[in-house]
Amino acid sequence: MPEIVVPIGPHHPALKEPVNFKVIADGELIVRLELDISYNHRGIEKAAESRDFIKVVPLLERVCGICSHSHTTTFVKGIEEAMKLTIPKRAQYLRTVVAELERMHSHLLWLGVAAHEIGFNTLFMWTWRDREAVQDSLEELTGNRVNYGINEVGGVRRDISDREAVRVLDRLPLLEDRIAKYREMVAHEPTTLARFRGVGRLTRTEALSYGTVGPTARASGVEYDIRRDDPYLAYEEMPWEIVTDTHGDVFGRTLVRIGELLESLKIVRYGLENMPGGPVKVPAPRGGPRAEILSRYEAPRGELAHFMRTNNTDKVERLDIRTPTLANWTSVAVSLVGQNLADIPVVVAAIDPCLSCTSRVTIVDREERETKTLTWEELRDHGKRFYREKRGV
Amino acid sequence: MSEGNVVLEMLRNLARKPATVLYPKEKLPVPEAFRGRIAIRDENCIGCTKCAIICPTECIDMVASEREVEVKGGKKIVRRKKPVVHLFACIRCGLCEEYCPTDPKAIYLTTEPSGSGTDKDVVVQ
Amino acid sequence: MMDPALLLLYVLVFPGLLFLVGYGFLLQFVDRKLAARMQARVGPPLLQPFADFVKMLAKETITPTGVKRADFDWAPLLAFAAVATAFMYVPVIGLSPFAFQGDLILVLYLLTVPSIVLFLLGWLSRNIFATLGGVRAITQLFIYEVPFFLALLAPAIMAGSWSISVIVAWQASHPWFALLQPIGFVVALIGLQAKLERTPFDIPEAETEIVAGPWTELTGRRLALMHLTMDIALVAGSALVAALFLGGPLLPWTIEPAWLAGLAGFGLFLAKTLAILLVLTSLRMAMGRVRIDQLNDFGWKYLASAAILQVFVVLAMNAWWAP
Repeated sequence: MPEIVVPIGPHHPALKEPVNFKVIADGELIVRLELDISYNHRGIEKAAESRDFIKVVPLLERVCGICSHSHTTTFVKGIEEAMKLTIPKRAQYLRTVVAELERMHSHLLWLGVAAHEIGFNTLFMWTWRDREAVQDSLEELTGNRVNYGINEVGGVRRDISDREAVRVLDRLPLLEDRIAKYREMVAHEPTTLARFRGVGRLTRTEALSYGTVGPTARASGVEYDIRRDDPYLAYEEMPWEIVTDTHGDVFGRTLVRIGELLESLKIVRYGLENMPGGPVKVPAPRGGPRAEILSRYEAPRGELAHFMRTNNTDKVERLDIRTPTLANWTSVAVSLVGQNLADIPVVVAAIDPCLSCTSRVTIVDREERETKTLTWEELRDHGKRFYREKRGV
Repeated sequence: MSEGNVVLEMLRNLARKPATVLYPKEKLPVPEAFRGRIAIRDENCIGCTKCAIICPTECIDMVASEREVEVKGGKKIVRRKKPVVHLFACIRCGLCEEYCPTDPKAIYLTTEPSGSGTDKDVVVQ
Repeated sequence: MMDPALLLLYVLVFPGLLFLVGYGFLLQFVDRKLAARMQARVGPPLLQPFADFVKMLAKETITPTGVKRADFDWAPLLAFAAVATAFMYVPVIGLSPFAFQGDLILVLYLLTVPSIVLFLLGWLSRNIFATLGGVRAITQLFIYEVPFFLALLAPAIMAGSWSISVIVAWQASHPWFALLQPIGFVVALIGLQAKLERTPFDIPEAETEIVAGPWTELTGRRLALMHLTMDIALVAGSALVAALFLGGPLLPWTIEPAWLAGLAGFGLFLAKTLAILLVLTSLRMAMGRVRIDQLNDFGWKYLASAAILQVFVVLAMNAWWAP
C-alpha cells in the first residue's frame, strides 16, 4: 500500500481530548508523525494576571480536572515562598494527603483508560469502580470529587475531623488488596502483555535527551522524583520509595504507576494516622513582594513547574505553566516511528496525556513555511487587524 | 497463568450484586462537607457585598433592596443591597460563604445537587 | 419431503427467519447482560437489542459523497441473506429438511460472506479508517478460516459425511465430537469468536484505533441490518458448532410422542447454544484486543497447527477402527 495519511484526531474515539496527529503510514507501519496540540488553549496564563491571589486559585484549579490539586498547590506554595510565609504543619500534611489521594485517583483512572485502549473493557470497569472509593474519600475530606478547592495562600481552607480521617482509613485495606490484584492481572494476562511489551520503547539516554518526566521517564530507569529530589510539603517526613523500572516500554510504565499507587496509599495512611494538631492556616498578606519563583511539584504525570513573577501587587505579573505532558509529547512522536497503527492509542495513553494542561499555540506561517511564537503586542495587533478586516469592527 | 485470575473474578462478580447504585431509587449518602447548591438566607444579610467582591466567576449581582437589619452590638442599620446569584455560573467554590461576616451565614452552600436547566439566567435569591 | 406449506412456515417463521431474528436478539441480550454482570454492572433490559434495532432503523441514512447508494444498500442485504440461508441447513428441531450431501461446505462458505461484505463496504466507503478496517477484516478472514475449516472438517471425516444433519445423527449413537475431538472443539470455538469479530479478535472494528473500521460510514437502516447480520451470525455459528460438536438437537434415546421429541430437541438446541454463548462471552470479557500481526503469529503457529494435528488424529483413528 502506498503511504497514506491517517488523521488521528482532533475527533477520535481513542482521544479523550482534542489533539491532532497526522500519521503518515505505510500499510500498518508508521513512517512519520506530525503533532498539533493547540486545540485546548484557553488563555489561562493571561487570565491569571488579572486576578488576585484569592480569586486566581479557583481559576488554576480548572487548568486540568485530574491534576487540579497539583496546579493549585504548586502555585500556592510558590506564592508562599515569595511572601516568605511558613504554613502550619497540619496544613502541610493535609495538602500531602489530598495530593496523594489525587495521585491514586489519577493512576487508577489511567489504568482503566489503558485497558480500554486495548479493548480490555473489563479491567476498565473494575479499576474505575475501585476509583470510586478514592473519590468518596476526597469528597468527604474536601467537599468535592474534582476541583477540591482546599488550597489557599497560607494553608488549607478546611480542617478534617477524626471521624472523617477514620472513614478514609477504613477504605484503604480493600483498595490495597484490589491494587495488588491488578498488578497480578496486568503482569500475567496474555493480551495485555502482548499489547504492552516492547511497545513505545525508550532507552534511558533517549528519555533523558527528549526531556521526558514522571512515570514515563522512571520506567526507563531515570530515578528522578521531585518529591525526593526537591522536597516540598511533608514528603521528607513520610516513609515512601521511588518506583522505577527498567523495561522502558508501556509495560514498564504500567508497573511504575501501579507501584506508585501502592506507595501513595502508604503515604495517605501515614499522613492520616500521624496528622499533627494545630491550626490549618495562617493569615497571608494581600500582596507579594518582588520575586521570581520557580515552583516544582510531582504531579501524577510528572514534573509540573510554575514560574511566577510577583511585583509588590496582589496579582502575579506573569505566570508560566510548564506541564509534564508537554515535556512528554516528543517521546511519543519519536517512539511511534516504526510501530504499528494499532499501537498509537497505547503509546499515547502510556504517557497519560492531559491535553487541557498542554495546549500551547504555535503560529504557523504558510507562505514563509516557518513556525514562531508571537509576543503579546504582536498578538494584539494581529487581533485588531483580524477584526477590522474580517468583521468590519 | 493469571488469565485464570480474571476469569475467577468475573465469575465471582456474577454471583454478587452489581456495583451500580440505582439512582434515584437508591441514593448515596452525601458527606456534610459536600459543596452543593448555593442558597441565600435573606434575613441575615447585611448587604456588605463581600460575597460579590470575592466571587471568582463574578456570578453574584447586588440588587437594590432596602431593609432594616440588626448588626453585632445591637445597632440597627438600613441595608441597601442584597445578593442575587446566577445559579449556573456558580462554581460552588465556597469563597462567598467563607467571607460572609454574618452568623449563621447569609450566603452558604447546601448539600443539595445544583441541578441543571436550560435557562442561563436562573437566579437564587 | 415436507409439504410445501409447512416448508414455507419452516423457512419464514420457525425455525426460519422470524425465530432467527428473535433468537438473535435474545442471544445479544444474554451476551450483554452476562458481560455486564461479570464487570459488576447492571446491564441492559430484555428488549434492549430490539429497541436498538428499531432506533437504528429510524435514524437518517447518510451516504458519503462519491459513493454509489446502490452498493451501500445491497451489501448489508447480501450479508443478511447469506447468513439466514446458512441457518436453514443447521438442525434446530430434529434434522434440517433441506439437508443434502455437502451442505456443510455450503454453510461454511455462506458464513464467510459477512466478512467479505465488510471488506467491500470498507473499500467502497472512501474513508481511510474504513479501508484500513476492511483490509484488516480480510486479513483476519485468511488467518482464522483455515483452522476453522479444518476443525469442522474433522467431525465430517469421522462421521463419514458432508451433511450436517448426518453428522448430528451420527452423534446420537456415539459420544459427542466435543469429547472425541477436544482440540478441534477448542479451535472451532476460537475460530467462531474470530469469525464474529468479537474481542480478542475485534481487530477490524477496533474502536480506539480506527474509529469503527468498515462500519464507519454505515448509518441508519444499513447499520441496523448489518448489526442484525452479526447477531444472526452468532446464532448460526453457535448452532453450527453445537450441531457438529455437541450433538445438536437430538437425544440419544427416542421419546414417544413426536411433538414431545421435537420440544425436547428444541430445548436441547437452546441449552447448547446458550452454553456456547457463555463460553464466547467469557472469552470476550476476559481479554483485550490483539494486534493483527500478533493474530497472524498466533493463528498460523498455534491454531493452524492444532487444527492440522486434530485432522491427522482423526485420520489415524479412522484407520485404526476401520469402518
